[in-house]
Amino acid sequence: MSEVIKIIGIGMIALIIIIVIKQYRPEFAIYISIIAGILILSISLQKMGEIVTLIQSVSEKAGINGKFISILLKITGIAILTEFAVSVCKDSGESAIASKIEMGGKVIIISMSIPIISSLLELMINILP
Amino acid sequence: MDINLLFKIAAIGILVAVLHQVLVRAGREDQAMMTTLAGLIIVLSIVIKEISTLFESVRTLFNL
Repeated sequence: MSEVIKIIGIGMIALIIIIVIKQYRPEFAIYISIIAGILILSISLQKMGEIVTLIQSVSEKAGINGKFISILLKITGIAILTEFAVSVCKDSGESAIASKIEMGGKVIIISMSIPIISSLLELMINILP
Repeated sequence: MDINLLFKIAAIGILVAVLHQVLVRAGREDQAMMTTLAGLIIVLSIVIKEISTLFESVRTLFNL
């Protein structure tokens, strides 16, 4: 519960500071929004560690191939980082750069999930008569 | 680390804004530009350090 309050507090304080500073020096507003995003992400990432360990333990018990789970976690990490960069670029008005980053992230994610897709195809080929 | 970092950057921003106004009023536009650039670079170094810590924590968490 205290993390939620901390996250909301950081967001509100950053918002107020940005409104104050935007009239005098608009470049610093972007810096403050980036720093606020980083602080909130770091708080939520501390909680993410427990989720990751839970996923890994459950997947081992269920007998799912560990390689796939690690690929899935990598994809989640890439998605978090690219979403962070995309939202910062969109915030500062550069939607062209944001869409390029998004496209690059998607390409990297697809290229990382090639092993999963190939193993899925092999599975289907074995099943089909 | 967390909230006073935000206040530090806000303080640098306000300081640079005030310095810029003072120097512009005093007729030294080029020095005003210099101080603004200096403030920007200082805050940029802080932000880049924080971004690198964030990327490092994500990398170790998801073992990218």
